[in-house]
Amino acid sequence: MPDLFKLVLQLTVILAVCRVVGSLFRRIGQPRVVGEMFAGILLGPSLLGWLAPGASAYLFPATSLGFLNALSQIGVVVFMFLVGLGINPKELKKHGHAAVLTSHVSITAPFVLAAFLALYLYPRLSDDSVTFTSFALFMGSAMSVTAFPVLARILIERGLLQSRLGTVAIASAAVDDVTGWCILAYIVVLTRAAHSGRSIWMTIGGIVVFALIMIYGVRHLLARLESAYRKRGELSENLMASMLLLVLGSALCTEWLGLHLLFGAFMMGAIMPKEQKFVRYVLDRFETITVTLLLPLFFAFTGLRTNIGLVKGAEMWRYCGLIVLIATVGKLGGSTLASWLTGMRLREAAGLGTLMNTRGLMELVILDIGLDIKVISPALFSMMVVMALVTTFMATPLLGWFCPDRVLLEESHRIPSQEPAIRTLASPSADRISA
Amino acid sequence: MSHTNRNFILAYTFLVALPVLGLVGILKSGRSLTAPISVDGMWQLQADAVRLAALPCGKTLAENPDTALVISQSGKNFTLSLSNDPKSTGSGELDGTTLRASLAPSAAWSDDAGCGTGRELSLVAKVDPKADPRSLVGVLSVNHCPECRAVEFQAVRQSPPVRKGPH
Repeated sequence: MPDLFKLVLQLTVILAVCRVVGSLFRRIGQPRVVGEMFAGILLGPSLLGWLAPGASAYLFPATSLGFLNALSQIGVVVFMFLVGLGINPKELKKHGHAAVLTSHVSITAPFVLAAFLALYLYPRLSDDSVTFTSFALFMGSAMSVTAFPVLARILIERGLLQSRLGTVAIASAAVDDVTGWCILAYIVVLTRAAHSGRSIWMTIGGIVVFALIMIYGVRHLLARLESAYRKRGELSENLMASMLLLVLGSALCTEWLGLHLLFGAFMMGAIMPKEQKFVRYVLDRFETITVTLLLPLFFAFTGLRTNIGLVKGAEMWRYCGLIVLIATVGKLGGSTLASWLTGMRLREAAGLGTLMNTRGLMELVILDIGLDIKVISPALFSMMVVMALVTTFMATPLLGWFCPDRVLLEESHRIPSQEPAIRTLASPSADRISA
Repeated sequence: MSHTNRNFILAYTFLVALPVLGLVGILKSGRSLTAPISVDGMWQLQADAVRLAALPCGKTLAENPDTALVISQSGKNFTLSLSNDPKSTGSGELDGTTLRASLAPSAAWSDDAGCGTGRELSLVAKVDPKADPRSLVGVLSVNHCPECRAVEFQAVRQSPPVRKGPH
């Protein structure tokens, strides 16, 4: 039985600290979510446990963390459903070659660089219970992810959501996330199958059957939800409950198949109908409680697992610096190069690269899985959390620097004849959107 | 094939397809790398209770035969604590198959076991990487105590890490 007093006390402290730190970060022009991620670190062994170990041990005793983790995981399940819901494959088609090349390069560049870095880090930060392939693939998928929700938030705050920069960024981030999660799924399946003794082919076969059922069966069922919404302008409580049951059922299926709860929730969101008003309606119903109550618990739980104290000494900080550098060069550099080649001006392309370099919450979710299946060590986990914070934190100021309002205004009035020859790669539709 | 499509294919080949081939090469060359031996997990300690009780700081360990050493590893470095006293923490380093670590007893344990201020338990052990489950053989001693006799111990890993993966 959980100690109810302790659990409610934990919730109160976590929510209060997240709100305060989130508001402080808003004042310096950062998205609230960055502040909340930082708040989680403050509550963990990196600050509270270091400054006041007695208070930390009283507030977060090891025996109570299981309940906190369970609550936070429910929050992340719903969050991943919402992330999947926000992804619209049609967005990618709109931008043709531009988004395809940008998104694929923004995956391969950080992925390959991360695997290269893994050659250096594996003998130093891993151990022989992890194979190099698992380690390198995990590093690659963790470095190539983009925080789709944070990116969308920054675009909305800058009024860029409908610009070419915004739409290509959203489409590319969607592809990044889907690809990143597929690679992560592969690693989780192999790791768990090796441990459980279950045949890998049984697991993969099960996942393929599950995906087919979702795409060709459940998706049609979900279309009925959308028609019900169109008829009445709202969904009844029963229909909302059914939707939630489907999310939880899907999450349970992927967990049972040897994958992870989060993949099922993400997939359910991805196959939901994408009519804008319907998506907004569902988001409104789920978002408030998830973002204000459940996600801060996840930040706190991640913060409790992050111990910056493990990154001690010049050598460890050098590894950490290398991780931040490689992640930034791969993601920001790769996306910038590809989008410049597909027709964007250099500043706008760098703005897109900056947006793609935002890792935020998605990174923390992936890192948590990596630590759970023990593909990464606690010290590497802490370094990667630092990388997630730094790359997310740098997004807003860098975007303002690369793309001040006058640049975006010029971009919107730019005539196609001024474009260099290599811009023939750009999709004509992309230009129409920016006009 | 249109000019746009040709450019796209060229760019895609250089920026996506070739790096993917590079990735395959990296994964192949990485297979020859060796990482430090895994010591992560819980280790059940076995030592002579009488000699352990005679060792300053060893009394609590002697009185709690179920005590396990909890090791959390990050490459060559690791932190350790005791399963029944998480406040007793320490850190150490792995050099090949040799572990060297020190463990600072918590205040409660220190008072109870008469450690005295500034004293820590020191642990030097060898891992047998071929044993399944892995085992440790080594000595426990107390630093700043030249008159204290080191106590030999053995430990067997209880919960091997769940990781493994593709080769």
